[in-house]
Amino acid sequence: MGVVIGYIATLGVYFCIYNIFAFGLNIQFGYTGILDFTVITFMAVGGYLAGVAALGPEQPGTDIYYVLGLSLPWPVALLIGAAAAGAVGYLIGLIALRRLRSDYLAIVTLAAGSIVYGIVGNDTRLFDGFEGLVGVPQPLSGVLNLNPNDYTVVFLALCAVIMAVCWFLANRLYKSPLGRTMRAIREDLEVAEAYGKRTFRVRMSAMVIGSIYVGIGGVLTIWFVTSLAPAGWGTGETFVVWAALIVGGRGNNLGAVVGSFLVAVLFNEATRFLPAISSLPNLIPEIRNICIGGLVILTLWFRPQGVVAERKARFFVVPLQHGTVAGSAAAEVAVSGD
Amino acid sequence: MSLFLLTLGFGVVTASVLALASVGLSLQFGVTNYVNFAYGAYLAFGMFFTYTANTALHLPFWLAAAVGVVATGLVAVLINIAILEPFVRRGTSGFFLLIVTFGLSLVLLNAIQAIWGVGFDQFPIAAGSPIRLGPFSFTAAQLAIVVIAVMTLVAMHLLLTRTALGRAMRAMSDNPSLARASGIDTHRVTLWTWFISGSLAGLGGITLALNTVEFQAFTGNTFLFVIFGAVILGGIGQIYGAMVGALIIGLAVNLSGLVISSAYDLDVAFVFLVLALLLRPQGLIAARGKA
Repeated sequence: MGVVIGYIATLGVYFCIYNIFAFGLNIQFGYTGILDFTVITFMAVGGYLAGVAALGPEQPGTDIYYVLGLSLPWPVALLIGAAAAGAVGYLIGLIALRRLRSDYLAIVTLAAGSIVYGIVGNDTRLFDGFEGLVGVPQPLSGVLNLNPNDYTVVFLALCAVIMAVCWFLANRLYKSPLGRTMRAIREDLEVAEAYGKRTFRVRMSAMVIGSIYVGIGGVLTIWFVTSLAPAGWGTGETFVVWAALIVGGRGNNLGAVVGSFLVAVLFNEATRFLPAISSLPNLIPEIRNICIGGLVILTLWFRPQGVVAERKARFFVVPLQHGTVAGSAAAEVAVSGD
Repeated sequence: MSLFLLTLGFGVVTASVLALASVGLSLQFGVTNYVNFAYGAYLAFGMFFTYTANTALHLPFWLAAAVGVVATGLVAVLINIAILEPFVRRGTSGFFLLIVTFGLSLVLLNAIQAIWGVGFDQFPIAAGSPIRLGPFSFTAAQLAIVVIAVMTLVAMHLLLTRTALGRAMRAMSDNPSLARASGIDTHRVTLWTWFISGSLAGLGGITLALNTVEFQAFTGNTFLFVIFGAVILGGIGQIYGAMVGALIIGLAVNLSGLVISSAYDLDVAFVFLVLALLLRPQGLIAARGKA
């Protein structure tokens, strides 16, 4: 019984974590139209930094090397992980968000992601290279002293609370003036600019907020699995988040949740438990990646708006004389491209 | 000084590989006006078609390479007809086409790895004792790469300047609607563009595999960012720009190996990509309306 509950709780934890990833990407891509092809890099940055903040100093003689090792309590580690992901998002944004065509932006994010991957993998002094961090302390596990299955349930509760806060804040952002400006930029950057919106700043906000979200998901990931190595965050993993958002429905957080459930939990995580063929150990991940890539292409062909479509802004009922000029313009723009 | 010249020689080889691959990407980018993120998989197709033709069908290597180049071109055309063209015809914005090609790269690379395995392979002629040429030292395969690249680039130049197809491609790259209005069969030109782009990717993949000696499914995809660097430095759709960009980045990547570890080759290419974007986003040879 405990095993079944533990298994369900494990899927629940992944569901919460992928929700947070999908919210983050939704803020970047769904709200603002930033093609961030390196989502998973921010997860890694958040996870690694939270890991080295919570771990004790590196022990000589163990052949495990990493920076910092501050033995900080877990809430502080969470903040450090989130802030670090935001900082990396800012740095990538500085290059990618200049007024360039979207192809360039996508190329820069993808290239920056593989640079981070290469540096983390090759430089063993940072986070122990391709071996990765191991034995990251789990929050409260020392205090509670539970068996692994019961602990998973407690951890699920923690993830669910963090996920709910993230969801609430993402919805607030969507409805806020900043969120409306983001959507106006998504539809037409030049129109938003003509109305005096500081598009670079708004896009940078989306980039950083989204990165922080993904970083928080990364912190939860490293807490849950207690280890993180570059093999766990390749380009394929980025695409799982993309698939979740595209299949679920971009631009709305309910769609992100539905997509995380369909793609990340039902499809991706469930297939991890399939029996592997011993002579072909890579076949299952290969087939999974092929299916996820194919799923996105098929979704974009047959239902480009996703399972749960973004609700259209009802701009016709907004009498023009009530709103400010810029406000109604943003609403108008948000409609035009749907 | 001798080490510098030796490295310079290797830089010319890298630049040759890079030029072949970059011209293919830049040509397609210019004509169809969206970047193909699956291009790294096309390099892998070139490598593995050649490998199979060489080892399973027992063709002599250069004949196998020719088969690999043509087959990759055909695969590029097929993928365009089956997947990309329908999206373009429906009017999908460039935005979503990027996601489609990104998904395509995941599908193709994993399919290649599922078919040909995860291990490293090697072409029989890739390894060989180096030949000394003054201060330089090349393997026979590396010399062949440089000769092939020069011949191919001259052929590309003649194609683009002397043939109706090449003129039509340049016209489409400049202004697709004007090209269509002037009676150019843009559909046919697009298919030819994909064939040439795919063939150059295949050739780029084969020469890359000869240069790195060992290769596997993701070798070409890792190289993709170096290709992007050359294409953006040169200016999108500017195939002469891509050649210049390839020369600069190819030399820089190898010469930087004198100072820092060659594990950071990708980072050197990235620095050039970033500098190009910050200082001259339209590329060394500017294309109007493309930046």
